[in-house]
Amino acid sequence: MNELRRLDLPAAPPATRPPRGMNALLPARLAWRQLRAERARLFTAIAGVMFACVLVFMQLGFRAALFDSATALPQAMHGELFLVNPMTTAMFKPEQFPRVRAFQTLADPDVAQAVPIYLSFATWRNPETGVRRTIELIGFDTATGAVAFPGLENVIEALKRPDTIAFDRKSRPEFGDVPRLLAERGPFEVQIADRRLEIVGLIEIGPSFGADGNAVMSETNFRRIIGQRKSSNTDLVALRLSEGADIPAVQARLRRLLPADVSVVTYTELVAWERDYWENATPIGFIFMFGSLMGLVVGMVIVYQILFSDIASHIPEYATLKAMGYAHAYLRRAVMSAALLLAVLGFIPGLLTSIGLYEVVASATFLPLEMDLNRGATVFCMIFAMCAAAGLLAVRKLRDANPADMF
Amino acid sequence: MASANVPVAIEGLAYAYGEGELRRPVLRDINLSIHAGEIVLLTGPSGSGKTTLLTLIGALRAMQEGQCTVLGQQLLGATEDQRVLLRRRIGYIFQQHNLLGFLTARQNVAMSLELDPGSTEAERLARAGAMLEAVGLADRADAPPSQLSGGQRQRVAVARALAGTPGLILADEPTAALDRVSGQEVVHLLRDLARSRGVPILLVTHDPRILDIADRIIEMEDGRITSGQPVD
Repeated sequence: MNELRRLDLPAAPPATRPPRGMNALLPARLAWRQLRAERARLFTAIAGVMFACVLVFMQLGFRAALFDSATALPQAMHGELFLVNPMTTAMFKPEQFPRVRAFQTLADPDVAQAVPIYLSFATWRNPETGVRRTIELIGFDTATGAVAFPGLENVIEALKRPDTIAFDRKSRPEFGDVPRLLAERGPFEVQIADRRLEIVGLIEIGPSFGADGNAVMSETNFRRIIGQRKSSNTDLVALRLSEGADIPAVQARLRRLLPADVSVVTYTELVAWERDYWENATPIGFIFMFGSLMGLVVGMVIVYQILFSDIASHIPEYATLKAMGYAHAYLRRAVMSAALLLAVLGFIPGLLTSIGLYEVVASATFLPLEMDLNRGATVFCMIFAMCAAAGLLAVRKLRDANPADMF
Repeated sequence: MASANVPVAIEGLAYAYGEGELRRPVLRDINLSIHAGEIVLLTGPSGSGKTTLLTLIGALRAMQEGQCTVLGQQLLGATEDQRVLLRRRIGYIFQQHNLLGFLTARQNVAMSLELDPGSTEAERLARAGAMLEAVGLADRADAPPSQLSGGQRQRVAVARALAGTPGLILADEPTAALDRVSGQEVVHLLRDLARSRGVPILLVTHDPRILDIADRIIEMEDGRITSGQPVD
């Protein structure tokens, strides 16, 4: 009995505190020990979170890449401010407005240059097969530098000649293999609408949702092809401001100067305008959100299943803990800790896998997929919320751990 | 009224399951006191209400009728928080050991000490180790329950119940899952540890082989205490 006497430690202080205020990390440690004990279950859960993570990353990546390519045209514009008809919803179907608005802006001392840009569609005949397809025509004074399509600098002089165009080398293959023909034959003639035009070079824009292919030409050549259009109307005006001009101030002055038939927008606003159309006025944004949501739902169900079965297989033990004086809230915290641990443990490999997949997809397609901090943070928040929701659902199972039923 | 000298004082306790037409009384007019250091066995046929009485004393169930004071806490009308606090001062031993399979024996015992917000991890593990030594399992302290025999597991459960220096020990058929020898070992260990600290034990059992540890045997039938004479 001597060894027993050694155990007669001072009695625990009378418990007067409510069952809170315990070391906050103890439930998390309990959760971690429980997760760690069942390796197979832990890896299933991590794989589930990882799956959701990769799916969401891919959906968001594709979405951003498609929107980027959809806004390739406005993104290629070089200008600080732009004039757009307020009724224009997207670049591929612009509403016209009087070209005189462009010249009016020159009244402002900070506007150095105002370049009208003309946009229209016409039928293109594939030079190899003769099959017709609709191509987007972009006409502007190519010498002004208001639009910066890669490759344009090489063809500026050539485009000044009558009936010449530069072809977008990233146009879909249905337009014919123009780069190869050009390399073989040199400049050659193609048919657009009812005219024969000479392809004098290649530029790069890329197909978008609105246009499968593009051709760039001078303002005059544009008018020759699109004859029925009122020549005093334009579709978009790019404004170059003088060095060091205060863009918002000029924007405000022009807003006061010009009538309500044009909107004055910055470069960022122009790109966002185009993007908003594809995101909100088409089902594309919804489709990707739906895909992301499905990933999160599947992930949540997996995490829920794991947490649920973890609780279900430990009901007597949890009930015993309650009989020992553990509050329900303590066990709830343990389950929520397990959920959030899974979020972190699944996110890390999910992120690494996604970075790898982005590279694979980007090299296999034209889509510009890149991981950025913002998207990483967004997805982490989504995964965290997903696991928290699964935890909240699973916590209800703890009600079954009733110590009164234990005896 | 009951003082701290009388760890359990019950007067006129009644309890029923179900409501309305389905209401089925399981305990009627229970009067019972357990004194400091006393070892009381509760026996009786199944359905006699002894387990329900144990869960009421253990603050695992809300009281319905009568007076029941356990370790100075009146249980009639006690809140959930008050009951949770009282449970921390009671040591429980179940028919099944109910140890957490993912923790070692020592960690399992330490779980009953983690409820004391003033203790450090080192203190808890040291005390848990000392407790395991007292039940003769010093060398198995770091084994998970799956590597212990049934009797060893139940001894870990005894260590866990006693580690928190409880004012009362409640046990429900602690020997039912054990063979005769291990069962005897466990209850004698329990008796010795409780005696050395003056902790009263209320033990529900069907097992005639362990009646010898009792100071008093109470028999229940049909929700009433039919006899409660002291042993010897």
